[in-house]
Amino acid sequence: MLIELALRNLARTKVRSTLAIIGIVIGVMAISSIGIFGESLKAVILENFKDVANEVIITPNYIHGYTSIDARTVRKIETIPFAETVIPVKSESALVEYRGKKTYVTVYGIDVRKTKDLFELEKGTYKGCLVGSKIADFFKLRVGSRITVARKDFRVTGIIKEGARFDINPNYAVILPLRDFDRVFNDREYSMVIVKVKSIDKIDAFKKAVDKIVNRKENKVSVFEMKMIIERIKNVFGKVTLFLMAIAGVSLLVAGISILNIMLMSTIERTKEIGLMRAIGAYRETILKLFLTEALILGLVGSAVGGALSFLGGYSIDVLILKTAKYVFAPSSIVYVFLGIAFGILTALISAMYPAWKASKLEPIEALRYE
Amino acid sequence: MIELVDVVKKYRIGTHEVVALNGVSLSVRDGEFVVIMGPSGSGKSTLLHLIGCLDKPTSGKVIIDGEDTSKLSDRELTELRRDKIGFVFQQYYLIPTLTALENVELPMVFKGVPKEKRHSRAEELLELVGLKGQGDRKPNELSGGEQQRVAIARALANEPSILLCDEPTGNLDTKSGKVVMDIIKRLNVEEGVTVVLVTHDPSLSDYGDRVVRIRDGRIIHAD
Ligand SMILES: Nc1ncnc2c1ncn2[C@@H]1O[C@H](COP(=O)(O)OP(=O)(O)OP(=O)(O)O)[C@@H](O)[C@H]1O
Ligand SMILES: [Mg+2]
Repeated sequence: MLIELALRNLARTKVRSTLAIIGIVIGVMAISSIGIFGESLKAVILENFKDVANEVIITPNYIHGYTSIDARTVRKIETIPFAETVIPVKSESALVEYRGKKTYVTVYGIDVRKTKDLFELEKGTYKGCLVGSKIADFFKLRVGSRITVARKDFRVTGIIKEGARFDINPNYAVILPLRDFDRVFNDREYSMVIVKVKSIDKIDAFKKAVDKIVNRKENKVSVFEMKMIIERIKNVFGKVTLFLMAIAGVSLLVAGISILNIMLMSTIERTKEIGLMRAIGAYRETILKLFLTEALILGLVGSAVGGALSFLGGYSIDVLILKTAKYVFAPSSIVYVFLGIAFGILTALISAMYPAWKASKLEPIEALRYE
Repeated sequence: MIELVDVVKKYRIGTHEVVALNGVSLSVRDGEFVVIMGPSGSGKSTLLHLIGCLDKPTSGKVIIDGEDTSKLSDRELTELRRDKIGFVFQQYYLIPTLTALENVELPMVFKGVPKEKRHSRAEELLELVGLKGQGDRKPNELSGGEQQRVAIARALANEPSILLCDEPTGNLDTKSGKVVMDIIKRLNVEEGVTVVLVTHDPSLSDYGDRVVRIRDGRIIHAD
């Protein structure tokens, strides 16, 4: 009956109630749409790194005086069972020249059979010298161009597709087969070892094994997990999303103020009625509950509609900015819809608290006599 | 049993003080029909509100069925009004969004009477006030006399022992006023409901077992 009464009271001022609901709809929609967008943005960015999530980078422990990793250590790492692929990498900064232009770049030496595990090619094949897309742009290189690396000539066999890695920036890299690298730079030791671990949950076991096998006597190497960097990115994007949602939350605040306003109007207009209800046996709490129920209905309806529409909003923003809608209905996005709905309902309830309290505090006789 | 002992009610408007009741003592026996008469502004409504526990006296005591109401909490006073007292006001005060039947049900809703039971009781009450089958009409679809009869039915919802009427016929024409008064009289005679009715209309004095006259906040004549 209280719900029935609340519904009829809302129906009594249809325009007002509708406007209040629209306010909540907009607020919830803004929050949830932005939540969906933030989540999608994160997903799109992490997608670039999804191949590296199970990677671990082993570097020499500079603090303990190691500047390189020797072949014996690499062989030890290769024996660890959790390692799926072990890619030792040599590197050196060197002058690269082509048709009178020159620049310093980092040149990497990687086993030709393993470069395909790290990079995708735009053009050409993996079998010889690979150049990053930015380098190719700079020199206007094509497959077959002859470049000079540290005064030795190489024919470019492949151009690396634009991409992102944390260990090697593929866009600015020049990759030589190990054999050629050793010829140019006279048999250096390895500067790092990239390991693809069998699965993400084996990373910890792998790290332990490295400590046991390689770092038993001395801390020769350090181990970095890509997972950590990815966690950091997630974290940052989570914060950005939260910040954007907070801005969108302002619209919900406005909706809350409008509910506060209409509820206050309503308590004043219905003063006599409140007095009557108190006179015939309604407790203060009953009056309180009645007003909160009205607000709850506004909040529920507004939030439900807003939540549903936020998929539309999220979809539009995603398509417009990210050019993809595939993350709109991802479970992690839907969480934000529920969050928006919860905030919508909460806003309505909080806004109604003061008017409801005020109504419940009316003295029955003063309320009845109110003109 | 209603007992007022030396009741004073003062209102303060800014620095100005209005003495609405100035030492009123009165007792009403169970089943009695008392008509309180007096000119406008004499304190009749104030007196009725105090009896009905809608307001508290500045000093003096209001005792309902042996219970000193000044000692009761807001919650207990609410329950007293809900269970023991029925109000009928000059302006009816029906809730406009509710149908006649729902208006009658309202005090039972507050008491927590189950739906079925309050529904059938409300229908009985509407029949009692001669509005059988009119339950689904909204207040604005009823005449003044009909609205007042709905208000009487509502006042009776929780079977109160006391019915307090403030100018119940004040807004009605003679004919519908008589219908309303006859219903109130019948409740008093047949159901034994104690009635306290305030009015400035001398023609209603015949309905009472006793007439109490009030002027300037004092009882001037009680027979
Ligand atoms: N809330 C109030 N604040 C200030 N003065 C009040 C208040 N209620 C009543 N009064 C004053 O108390 C006096 C008695 O008022 P009351 O309403 O009891 O008179 P009444 O006999 O019912 O009059 P009427 O026949 O016009 O209804 C009046 O002078 C009135 O102005
Ligand atoms: Mg009066």
